[in-house]
Amino acid sequence: MDVASIYYLGVTFLLFALFAVIVGRTYNRRDREKKEAPKYRMMDED
Amino acid sequence: MGQQEGYADDVVKGFIIWSIVWGLVAVLLGVLISLQLAWPQLNFPPYFTYGRLRPIHTNAGIFGWGIGSFMAFFFYITQRLTRTRLWSPKLARFQLCLFNVVIALAAITLAMGMNRSKEYAELEWPVALLVVVLWVIFSVNIIMTIVKRREEQMYISLWYIMAALVGVAVLYLVNNVGIPISLTKSYSAYAGANDANVQWWYGHNAVAMVLTAPPLALFYYFLPKSTGVPIYSHRMGVIAFWSLIFMYLWTGAHHLLWTPVPDWVQTLAMAFSIMLIAPSWGAVFNGYFSMNGQWHQMRDNYLVKFLIFGITFYGLQTLQGPSQAVRTFSGFIHYTDWVPGHVHMGTLGWVSLVLFASIYYIFPRLYGREIYSVGMVNLHFWLAVIGQLIFSISMWIAGVQQAAMLHATNPDGSLHYSFMETMIELYPYWHARAFGGVIYFASLLVFIYNLIKTATSGKPAPVAARP
Amino acid sequence: MLEKKPIIFLLLATATILIGTMITMVAPFKWINDPKLKIAEVKPYTPLQLEGRDIYIREGCNNCHTQTVRPLLADVERYGDYSKVGEFVYDQPFLWGSRRTGPDLARIGGKYPDAWHYKHMADPQSMVPRSNMPKYAFLQRPLDTALTSRKMKALHFPYTPADIEALKGKTELDAMVAYMQKLGSDIPWRKAAQAAVIGELKNPYQEDKTVLAEGKAIYDKECAQCHGKELQGEIGPSLADIDKPDAEVFRITYGGLPAGGMPAFGDALGKDKVWKVVNYIKYHQRR
Repeated sequence: MDVASIYYLGVTFLLFALFAVIVGRTYNRRDREKKEAPKYRMMDED
Repeated sequence: MGQQEGYADDVVKGFIIWSIVWGLVAVLLGVLISLQLAWPQLNFPPYFTYGRLRPIHTNAGIFGWGIGSFMAFFFYITQRLTRTRLWSPKLARFQLCLFNVVIALAAITLAMGMNRSKEYAELEWPVALLVVVLWVIFSVNIIMTIVKRREEQMYISLWYIMAALVGVAVLYLVNNVGIPISLTKSYSAYAGANDANVQWWYGHNAVAMVLTAPPLALFYYFLPKSTGVPIYSHRMGVIAFWSLIFMYLWTGAHHLLWTPVPDWVQTLAMAFSIMLIAPSWGAVFNGYFSMNGQWHQMRDNYLVKFLIFGITFYGLQTLQGPSQAVRTFSGFIHYTDWVPGHVHMGTLGWVSLVLFASIYYIFPRLYGREIYSVGMVNLHFWLAVIGQLIFSISMWIAGVQQAAMLHATNPDGSLHYSFMETMIELYPYWHARAFGGVIYFASLLVFIYNLIKTATSGKPAPVAARP
Repeated sequence: MLEKKPIIFLLLATATILIGTMITMVAPFKWINDPKLKIAEVKPYTPLQLEGRDIYIREGCNNCHTQTVRPLLADVERYGDYSKVGEFVYDQPFLWGSRRTGPDLARIGGKYPDAWHYKHMADPQSMVPRSNMPKYAFLQRPLDTALTSRKMKALHFPYTPADIEALKGKTELDAMVAYMQKLGSDIPWRKAAQAAVIGELKNPYQEDKTVLAEGKAIYDKECAQCHGKELQGEIGPSLADIDKPDAEVFRITYGGLPAGGMPAFGDALGKDKVWKVVNYIKYHQRR
């Protein structure tokens, strides 16, 4: 494996880690109600 | 709290009406140029040839009908999701005038042959500058409204709206950099393969920022509003949002597979195109899951019918697109009629169906009247869907047939068909395509007639009348 | 928290779209401009060619014609050597296009003689019977040269005042044809690609009248536009009493005569069809 491929793998892994963090934070159980609140609030009659 | 009066909705009406006018122009021109391909004697040089009319068709469709109606709905949705009156209704009214001036100027200059030749960025620099002004005042108005909002959390539609605002700005500015020669002529600042790569970074992400993010904003807003049931998952919307706007920007070079653009750029574009299936279908699933227990509304509620058919076409579009972005399949299908078939499923199927639903939703509210004829809404729906399917399916068959003929070889390795032999086989498909276009045009006439009757003689209805 | 801070959100969204942009759009400038990919033979456009190119842009020809040959068998056989990145360094804008309603034009230069283009532009159906290309007879009007030197300067293309002077009296069609003939002809690909005919050149259909109809059909489609329906000659010479040996006629049809404007038909038709058409032509003469 040359340096370029290692870089490639590294970047791919980094992106994956970032994605995992975003998913983890978004789906954090504690914030569940807060994170889903907008979908109920937008239903209020306007 | 009686906010309906508090919102600046006159300008929403204006944008809706004018976007429909430009949409009608786009489809009419589409029918004309489809006939020109089948009967070349319908070209009337110099102003009315296929080469000059096709950019007017695409510009009127994307910018006149697409962006025009998105402007209306961004104003409408943003005010409601923020529970705040538009930051400057005066600026918005000026924006409507400028919008119409720009689209009319675009049509005239393109017919006169003032054309930068870059697809969806054809407008010469003075007109392009006006587009920039238009976009800046639009963005400022929306963003200022969001900044001074009274609803703390931002619903997912606002995310897509804001991403579209910055996305379009970045794309348009970079791809329009040029060297002016005179008021009516300029050259691209980039050369050759660089220019191609910049152009398709722009071209494909115009699809992302104009034909994906805004209709998704509308879909996420109007689907719950129409069904009366909240969207399935806001958090899934958030994940899909970040993935979508991250991945889209890598994929432009799938328009340039097998060209002299560096191979690694093409390969990245191919990989990210396939990855894009995930966030695209995130939105599709969000729509389908929201329908849980509500599927009967497909029968009872015409708004839902438009929206669910729309998101289904989006789902098909985002499977077909990535498959075309694979080198082997691209090598076969690219440059044939398959591609216009694909594009029109997105524009006539996905984007326009969502826009029709959105207009049917807000029109009675804006005019305080019930929709004039539900029967006509249904007629509009079926004509539009059938017209689009005739168009796309005939083009897919034409594309596969021509591709197969172009690639056919004899045992000694020579080509089996000359170019013309493959081309003359397309005439029947071009007739079918024009026929599909005429049906779609008829659907628009029904749509417009119904709206006019609603505005002038629909039954007065309570503001929140749900169909 | 993001959903409460629109300005931070906007900045983050912008950063997100800029990552892919930097890597796949900005970074390639470094690769594409690599001096190793420069091709010395590729020359900038002359004033006449550049004006022709601008007319090509004005008329939106790129809506139906591509200008890039892919390294695929069908593309290379039909249109010529695949396109190289160094061939486009003077193209502002690029004109690769996205749809081949008509054939690719990346290597149209030198394929046909000028006279073919003049006739074809004015009335495409007279040359290619079922073509759906619009007629461009209106290009037979004087070329506007008011901006020519400014254009040449802006693109840093070399020219002399005499070049500009020479444009006097030229029509838009002259410019267009000059542009067509320049396309893809800078690198000597035709010579390199000229098929070497291997094996004995013996007409397999000599005196075989059963294939005459097939030969005539191919002739009518591929040859008649230049050599005339009755072989009487028009743009190309008369073939009515051609007295070259069969093998020589085959060689010319198969490999072309670049200097004389005769296209090579070998890749497109294959040996068998070329022999059939040669047989037809020669039969005509023997009669």
